[in-house]
This record gives sequence, C-alpha cells and structure tokens, in this order.
Amino acid sequence: MALKANMKILVIDDMATMRKIIKNMLGQIGFTNITEADDGATGLPMIEDAAKTDEPYEFIVSDWNMPQMTGLDLLKHLRATDEFKALPFLMITAEAEQGNVVIAVKAGVSNFIVKPFSAQVLKEKIDKIFNK
Amino acid sequence: MSNSNFIEFSKPFIEAAKNVFETMVFTKLEPGKPQVKKDSTSCGDVSAVLGLSGVVSKNGEDKNYRAMLVMSFPYETYLKVAGAMLMEEYTEFNEEIRDVGGEITNMIMGNAKRELGGMGYTSNMAIPSIIEGKSHTIKYPNSSTVILIPIKCAHGEMFIEICYAEED
Repeated sequence: MALKANMKILVIDDMATMRKIIKNMLGQIGFTNITEADDGATGLPMIEDAAKTDEPYEFIVSDWNMPQMTGLDLLKHLRATDEFKALPFLMITAEAEQGNVVIAVKAGVSNFIVKPFSAQVLKEKIDKIFNK
Repeated sequence: MSNSNFIEFSKPFIEAAKNVFETMVFTKLEPGKPQVKKDSTSCGDVSAVLGLSGVVSKNGEDKNYRAMLVMSFPYETYLKVAGAMLMEEYTEFNEEIRDVGGEITNMIMGNAKRELGGMGYTSNMAIPSIIEGKSHTIKYPNSSTVILIPIKCAHGEMFIEICYAEED
C-alpha cells in the first residue's frame, strides 16, 4: 500500500453499525489508526484538538445525514479555516441523488461515496483522493 | 384514495434491497410472490420501519403520498445478517446490533429514492425505527395498502413490506 498504514483516520457516523462496517473495511484495506465519532458535533472538536498535538487527523470519513451537525456542515466548517482547508474528506451518503454530489463538491469535498459500497470501492475512492 | 401507482412504486425498493444485500451482506435475495397483507402483526421478530412522504407528479397532476418500508426478520436471520455485515458472530439480539436493520432500510430507501425521483416522485425520508419482540404490531398509515414480499437468502427468510397511499 502506497499510503502509510498508520495514517490517522476519523470515522464519523451516527449509526454504530455503519461506523463498524467502515472501520472493518478500512482495516481490510490495511489502515490501523482509526478513531470514531458519533456526530459532526462530536467529531469537530476531536479534529480541532488533535490538530494542536503532533498527531493531527489526516483523513476524515463522514456520513452526510447526522442529527446534530451534518457531514456537510462539518465539511463547510472545516473548509472555512486555513488549517483544514485541504484536510482530505470523504463523504458517505445513503441518498444517490445527483444534486447531492454537486452540493458536496461545491463545499469542497475530496470525494463522495454512495451506500451501499464494498471495501474495494472505498479503497478506489481513497486512492483517488491521495493520488491526485 | 388511489393506489394505482403502487406496483410501479414498489419495484425500486426490491431492486435496491437486492443491491444492498449483495454489497453489504454478501448474499443474494430471492424475492417470493408479493401478497396483500391484511393485518398489522409483524412477520418477523425484529422489524425496521422507515417512513417516506412526498409528491407524485403524473400526467400534469400532483398528489401527496405517504409510504412506509418495513423489513421484518426472524431473530435467526437478523443475527446472521448482522454477523455478515459486521463480520462478527452474534447469538442473541442486543444493543450492538439494534441499528443494523435501520441502516439496511436507510440504504434501501436512499437507493430507491433516486429511481423514484426519475419516475416523478419527490420524497422525504424519516429516521428508521426498530421494533423488537415476537409478533409485534406495526402501525401503518391509515387507509394504506400493504404489500408483503417474502424473501429468501442464504441467511434465512425475511419479509419486506411496502405500504403506499395517495391522498385525494
């Protein structure tokens, strides 16, 4: 794997099931340093706090629909700062409508994945993000 | 109340369910013959229920509709499906796997939504809920028709219910 296995990844989803599936898939791909958050509202301070240490998050995988802070709001929040302007951000959504892709791209998403997806598709999306 | 669009409406859900189970549960679904469900008792022990509402535009006429997707699993099937999705072995229903059914219906509805959009249906998804216990009651919207589709897969049997009603 070209990417380092210990890249620090934050998986954000309000459904525990989905967090576990994504973690399993990332593990299958070869990643080992994965933490979880259950909402954009809990994920944001984790990203901000980690940035003050010598181990900042290097990759965010976030669901779109979450009750408190959506993935889109989180993305917009991050992109509005210099610090997180280029933080790789993969958005996951259950809704396959074309309009969603446009909204996410405009907000600065690194890539986009529609549920259901396989570990292979996840790997391809990650490769695209980091091999640009 | 007209349910003439029911058959057209239900097809995307079956296709989406096949896609979700093949990709995330690693099993193929074999849908059986659809039948009209006459009572509100669940067919399985764990049911994931997801509401949908919107407007259907046909022949220059707009009508509001309400719909519901239910996936009902016997415990045995639910544990196996959850196990396949999460790569673990489960011997009893517990909190850890409670939202598995909700996530499945969420993905099915999300996928079906795109197809429905192309057919003239706008749709707003609700948040899935889980009902658990032997022979529980499912509350369908008033005056709606419920179609029950028995499904077989390598993990056992399960039931998809699609409920649809247009407002006059």
